[in-house]
Amino acid sequence: MKLLICIKQVPDMESRFKVGAGGSWYDETDLAWRMNEYDEYAVEQAVQLKEQLADAPELTVLSIGPDRVLEPVKKALAMGCDRGVHVQDAAAAHKDPWQIASIIAAYARDKGFDLILTGMQSQDRGSAQVGVLVAEQLGIPCSTTMVGFAYDNGTITAKRELEGGLKGVVKLTTPALLTCQLGLNVPRYPTLPNIMKAKKKEVAAIAVADLLKELELTGTASVYQPPKRGGGIVLEGDFAAMADRLLGILKEKTAVVR
Amino acid sequence: MDYTREIYWNIGHGVVLPMYLLSFAAMAMLAWGFWKRLPIYRQGKALDRFDRFDERVKRTVAEIFGQVKVARVRGGGLPHSMFFWGFLTLFAGTLLVMIQADFFTPVLRVNLLAGRFYLAFSLVLDLAGLLALVMLAALFSRRFITKPAGLESTDQDYIVHQLLFAILVSGFLIEGARMAASELTQNPGLARFSPVGYLVARLFTSFDPDSIRTTHKVLWWLHFALVLGFFAAIPYCKLRHIVTTTLNAFFAPLEPKGTLATINLEDESVEQFGAATIADLTWKDLFDADACTSCSRCQDRCPAAATDKPLSPMKLIQQIGAVAESAPGASLTEAIGEEAVWACTTCRACQEICPANNEHVNKILELRRNLTLMEGAFPGDEVRSAVSNIEVNANPFGLAFAGRGDWAEGLPVTVMADGAEVDILYFVGCYASFDKRNREIARSFIKICAAAGVRVGILGKEEKCCGEPVRKLGNEYLYQQLAGENIELIEGYGVKRIVTTCPHCFNALGRDYRDLGLDLPVEHYSSYLHRLIETGELQLSAQAEPFHFTYHDSCYIGRYMDIIEEPRAVLARAGGRVREMEQSRYDSFCCSAGGGRILAEEKTGTKISEARVKMALETGSPLIVSNCPFCLTMFEDGIKTGGAEGELSVRDLAEIVAERLA
Repeated sequence: MKLLICIKQVPDMESRFKVGAGGSWYDETDLAWRMNEYDEYAVEQAVQLKEQLADAPELTVLSIGPDRVLEPVKKALAMGCDRGVHVQDAAAAHKDPWQIASIIAAYARDKGFDLILTGMQSQDRGSAQVGVLVAEQLGIPCSTTMVGFAYDNGTITAKRELEGGLKGVVKLTTPALLTCQLGLNVPRYPTLPNIMKAKKKEVAAIAVADLLKELELTGTASVYQPPKRGGGIVLEGDFAAMADRLLGILKEKTAVVR
Repeated sequence: MDYTREIYWNIGHGVVLPMYLLSFAAMAMLAWGFWKRLPIYRQGKALDRFDRFDERVKRTVAEIFGQVKVARVRGGGLPHSMFFWGFLTLFAGTLLVMIQADFFTPVLRVNLLAGRFYLAFSLVLDLAGLLALVMLAALFSRRFITKPAGLESTDQDYIVHQLLFAILVSGFLIEGARMAASELTQNPGLARFSPVGYLVARLFTSFDPDSIRTTHKVLWWLHFALVLGFFAAIPYCKLRHIVTTTLNAFFAPLEPKGTLATINLEDESVEQFGAATIADLTWKDLFDADACTSCSRCQDRCPAAATDKPLSPMKLIQQIGAVAESAPGASLTEAIGEEAVWACTTCRACQEICPANNEHVNKILELRRNLTLMEGAFPGDEVRSAVSNIEVNANPFGLAFAGRGDWAEGLPVTVMADGAEVDILYFVGCYASFDKRNREIARSFIKICAAAGVRVGILGKEEKCCGEPVRKLGNEYLYQQLAGENIELIEGYGVKRIVTTCPHCFNALGRDYRDLGLDLPVEHYSSYLHRLIETGELQLSAQAEPFHFTYHDSCYIGRYMDIIEEPRAVLARAGGRVREMEQSRYDSFCCSAGGGRILAEEKTGTKISEARVKMALETGSPLIVSNCPFCLTMFEDGIKTGGAEGELSVRDLAEIVAERLA
């Protein structure tokens, strides 16, 4: 059995974002990077399946981007993936979901993957399209927002998160693609022996030009900070004075007290 | 009249051969008992504790004969020390008699035990016996009548006490019987030099001479048998501490306090990190269990034990011993309990007070290394995310690393990357950099340095968590990564001196980083400011309003680094009048945040910080002063949740000083 896990490196959401030159994406100065949260669930689920099937599946982890994306690839290898694929692309951030999906599909097409796992969406662009577009291009079944996973002899039972707290259950047969949502599992912390082993695992480097044959379908017109709204007020000091001030504010600015 | 006595009076010299044979038999039992324990210790890993031999011997002699560590605790400790000296004197006296009888007399034909020396000998031994007897009675009543909390007694303890009583009492009875039959009538001047023996001898005055002789003979053999029993029993019961605790004074570490073996992460042959089973501990760790006397001093001072958490440093030592003895392959974490392993704040109160030189803290850290590095375990999900935050943004809060130097805006501080001459590098640490309350420490420190004319540099957004909390949680890998990056930066800027306001950064940079190559003077601001004041570079206002306070010794400043008087002196110079808490200086009680616990929630038992706040309240001081961002954080919290708001407030040493600059 062969699994492909697609991961993306994203900035930590606490970082200080600035709009970059060109105005269509963020500037990369002073950003801290990490593995996209939803992709961590994908890696963890793949490793759990490998454990369930007594080590039989072979797990390939793939990431597209500049050299810094080797960091999350190494982490995935330390968590238990077997081999890595680095699609080298310094301009990955400016590609649209269709192009990213095309790169992955071009890589996966003749490899015979039984199962492809991706995050539900990325924390930065958040299009939630890459997974489903890969399935579309490969012509395999796909299910999204997975919060529960069971595998038995080629059949996958996936629990999906629906709107309004509802859950749904779908069944698929491999080959298939699933996108992973928060709540699916708790990603493991790599152990030191596994971190050491990961350093020796193979990471194949592929130039993006070898895989990308598609033009973009959607272009980003602009990226901007939301307009600043009125800040919060923290009242401090004597309780009676604070109560009076609060009453004043409520009267003045709201319709609560008349 | 000459003062001496006939050795083997009433017993006869025919006793010599059987006496020596029986003594050898007892000594053989003693040796055999310890010999049999050697394989237990050998299950542990190698560790050189025979280096710097002279230093070790000196320390052993000083500690054992001086009873330094035992006597530190008055109740129990002082009587034990005095008992020890009494019993040791009796032992030395008996050895002297033996040498006289079987060497000096037959071979050299001189009598050492004569004349004035014999008078002194008689008096000293008689009083030593009395001292031992009285102290034994005190120890007995403490253990079996007043029973302080935490002191567990078994039948074995009872038997050992009875044995010692029997030895001392029978000794005096023999002396009394001999004196009644000899000195009392023949040499009353000599009898006065054995006051206790004299009183006992008076008991025998109504006996006829034959009965006295018979009684004496029977008692002599009884006393002899008891003493042999005592020696033979040493390895098989708690008496073994006479040997093992003594040896542990020799084996105790000579490295700076808090030294933890730096794991070589380059060594690919290593497959096990930390301690999963006793085979991963050192022989000394296993030996410690035999050196433990169950005195419970560690447990009495443990902040985790005091607040109903499932950790007892004493039981931990003993559990490791039990596993080594009966189930060597068993999981140590299972035997001890994972929650107990995580509960430790590494405050070192246990190790500081241990009269047996046992090393509690590093055992716990080895257990944690196994949990973290081999199993990827955390004490809780909040710790998991804090560690992940440190990995990504180099601070446990998960705040943007780029904002690390924001607190210094508008202050006279140079960011090292901008390049300018500085006198010191201020390693700020995560709390003083990011936490709103703790930023006051950083700002105050800069204000003080400016007043003293010290040019301060910081690493700003390049600085990373020092790694101390994660190291204490067992994550040596992340620690070495952070340390390596910090060291490279610091060395790159050609820094000459580092000052920290955080004791945890101070311990990491000043001691632990040395193993990784940082070789610079590192100081905590407590001693740094003290020196600036002493040299006159820093002037404090003479008109400063006097204030009352109690001082909290941070574990990593006091116990770990022996900085006890300097912060007190600084505060006194600032106009402070201290009222000490009962548990202060080396006996200080942790705030709860050490050992990486700053990142963890306290889910079990009561809150350690509230317990400490209560101790501060008991002094009647309105203010508790600390010099650690973790302590400040915990006390701000403990004051709120413990309902002490309005009665007590907490401030940092730097804030106090900054307000009282000249």
